Amino acid sequence: MSQLYLYPLWVRVWHWVNAAIFLVLMYTGASMHFNGAGWLMEFQTAITVHNTAGILLTVGWIGFILGNLTTSNGRHYHVQLKGFIGRLTAQSLYYGYGIFRNAPHPFHPSAEAKLNTLQQITYIGVMYLLMPLLVLSGWAFLFSVYLPETLFGIGSVWVVAIAHLTLAYLLVLFLLVHLYVITTGETPMTNMKAMLSGWHRDSHQDTEA
Amino acid sequence: MSDRDSESRLTGPAPALAAGWLLILSGLAPNLACAESETVDNQGCLRCHQMATLAYRDPGTGEIVDLSIAPMALSHSAHGKLACSDCHSADFDRYPHPKRLKEETLSCVGCHEDQDDADQRLYRFETIDEEFERSVHATSDHPKAAGFSCHSCHDPHAFRNSRVGEEIRQIVHDDNAICLSCHKKVQDPLRDPHAWLPKREKHRESVRCLDCHTPLTEAGQPVSHRILAAEDSNRDCVNCHSKEPQLLNRLYQYRSEEDLASKGWVSKAVFNEAYVVGMSRSPLIDRLALAVIGITVLVLGAHGYGRYRAYRREQEDQA
Ligand code: HEC
Ligand code: HEC
Ligand code: HEC
Ligand code: HEC
Ligand code: HEC
Ligand code: HEC
Ligand code: HEC
Repeated sequence: MSQLYLYPLWVRVWHWVNAAIFLVLMYTGASMHFNGAGWLMEFQTAITVHNTAGILLTVGWIGFILGNLTTSNGRHYHVQLKGFIGRLTAQSLYYGYGIFRNAPHPFHPSAEAKLNTLQQITYIGVMYLLMPLLVLSGWAFLFSVYLPETLFGIGSVWVVAIAHLTLAYLLVLFLLVHLYVITTGETPMTNMKAMLSGWHRDSHQDTEA
Repeated sequence: MSDRDSESRLTGPAPALAAGWLLILSGLAPNLACAESETVDNQGCLRCHQMATLAYRDPGTGEIVDLSIAPMALSHSAHGKLACSDCHSADFDRYPHPKRLKEETLSCVGCHEDQDDADQRLYRFETIDEEFERSVHATSDHPKAAGFSCHSCHDPHAFRNSRVGEEIRQIVHDDNAICLSCHKKVQDPLRDPHAWLPKREKHRESVRCLDCHTPLTEAGQPVSHRILAAEDSNRDCVNCHSKEPQLLNRLYQYRSEEDLASKGWVSKAVFNEAYVVGMSRSPLIDRLALAVIGITVLVLGAHGYGRYRAYRREQEDQA
């Protein structure tokens, strides 16, 4: 049994605030998108809440990027190219096969690398690609009056709208997978507890580090 | 007031001139009679026909035929400058009206077809007639739709078409009032066939029934008269809630130049706004995304079940 302090307070606070904002954005976004269905928020309220949450999300995202630039947390997002394919394969094989055979986890978090390769590329994709695009398209909506009439020959607002929608769906998808994958730790609650307390507890720590 | 003015003009110091006018007028009537509208005197007929209670029961159909004409509505109508006798037989000035006048039939199209200002208008009566012939009201075999004609919607003594520069809201209100006068169900929140439409009140104030219930393809005329059956009517939000609100363009033709200059920007902002729903609605993306999300949930569920089985096996092995 070993303990590792993986998640500094700022990361945890950011994570949970971000998670809450995510849920609010999903619900209010759906309320606007599917306006008319019964269980949704009132249109006008949804707009206000969605915009506010969107602004907070932007602030949070900037905070996250700054945090990664200024603290050691950023190193978890530097892809180690050496052995990349091997690690990726091992991790994928584990999720696709080994996990049903009670095979040992191929990866154990350490202070140097808390994310396995698969997580790493997912999070990089989400935090450094999808999120900024989502945030940008959201702001483009707010300031759509200042956009050019057309983008790529199509009405620019439509382009923005469809981009925002597609990104939103992709992030909902991410959230689903994310929620599931965090249960694949040592025990279903291992990773969840780590994100709450900051401490990662792992009984196999000695085998690999 | 205006009657008195014109009378004094006619009997004034230039009777010869007045006589000349009359000659010209009779030569060009009825089309030009309107030019000198103040000379129209309908009082002879209105003496009786403005009585709100003037009506009789048609012995054939048993329906009440309303014979009353509202003078104010008439004078503000498109035909406000015409004399009764421009349309009706002059023989009506005798009372009791001669029996043969019962046979008189007047039709909007029949009368307007002959007029030569057709090319100055945005609409053609022939086109309107063709469209009407293909509308639900003309093709329906519903007993209540029997005998449906232009007059079911347009009272020749009150109808006034919308003009460029009028308040859009007022146009919408007036046009919808025509439809709502028969379609009472639409106003009943419990039986309204438009329950699927969010913000019904707002829509009723800002769009015409016609905008959804007539096809898009027929271009040119500000209103199409081809009312579609319920199942063919438009329910696609994006046709209005987008940068190019195709359905609304017809309605917005009524905007005047200054209107466009002053409101154009604002309305652009409104329709450019993300918040106008449907804008981002793409059935393809929606379906695709929901399918992918659904499949993901299934896969994750199956994965979780597999892990649970593995976990149980391990437990059993250890036991
Ligand atoms: C003294 C009252 C009186 C005057 C004046 C009068 N009407 Fe009438 N009108 C009636 C009555 C009563 C009826 C219904 C009975 C009938 O058809 O004779 C009627 C019926 C009519 C009808 C409907 C015929 C039908 O059954 O569809 C028309 C059209 C009409 N009038 C036009 C006129 C015009 C035009 C004038 C003026 C040139 C005029 N009336 C003057 C009393 C009057
Ligand atoms: C633009 C032409 C026009 C003018 C002007 C006009 N009418 Fe009519 N009127 C019609 C038409 C068309 C009908 C037939 C309506 C129908 O069939 O429902 C009609 C029908 C009527 C009727 C029968 C009742 C009804 O509403 O169907 C009466 C009465 C009548 N008019 C009286 C008058 C009087 C009085 C005036 C003048 C104050 C007048 N009309 C001016 C076109 C006109
Ligand atoms: C007996 C002839 C006659 C009948 C019937 C008639 N109209 Fe007219 N209508 C006229 C005349 C004449 C004018 C021109 C009036 C003017 O310019 O002031 C006119 C003007 C109009 C106008 C406005 C001017 C324009 O050309 O845009 C409209 C709209 C109109 N009529 C619609 C109708 C409708 C709808 C009906 C049937 C309900 C109808 N008319 C029946 C003779 C008729
Ligand atoms: C179902 C109802 C209905 C019927 C039936 C109908 N109309 Fe209309 N019509 C309307 C409405 C609503 C408008 C829009 C009025 C407006 O705002 O100008 C209109 C407008 C018009 C206009 C003005 C067009 C313009 O662009 O300004 C004319 C002319 C007209 N109708 C003629 C006719 C004729 C002729 C017939 C018969 C062949 C007819 N209508 C039948 C509902 C109807
Ligand atoms: C004079 C009365 C009257 C007026 C005015 C009228 N309607 Fe109708 N409408 C009817 C009748 C009667 C029917 C056929 C009965 C039915 O199907 O409910 C009908 C049918 C319809 C239908 C088809 C319903 C179906 O089941 O497919 C639509 C859509 C419709 N009307 C729309 C309109 C619109 C839009 C207007 C205004 C431009 C209008 N109506 C004006 C009487 C009217
Ligand atoms: C946003 C577009 C839209 C507007 C605005 C609109 N309708 Fe409809 N309407 C529809 C559609 C779509 C249907 C078919 C609904 C269905 O079949 O479930 C329909 C159905 C109807 C029906 C058929 C009802 C039945 O019994 O099946 C009538 C009548 C009708 N509308 C009248 C009106 C009238 C009157 C107005 C104006 C006050 C109006 N509509 C405004 C889209 C619209
Ligand atoms: C015929 C054109 C038309 C169609 C079709 C249409 N709308 Fe609208 N809608 C409008 C207009 C115009 C407004 C009023 C915009 C304004 O006043 O700012 C409006 C307003 C709204 C509003 C209120 C926005 C606010 O600011 O409160 C909502 C929500 C809405 N529409 C949703 C829908 C949905 C969902 C559909 C499809 C089921 C739809 N609309 C179909 C024209 C249309």
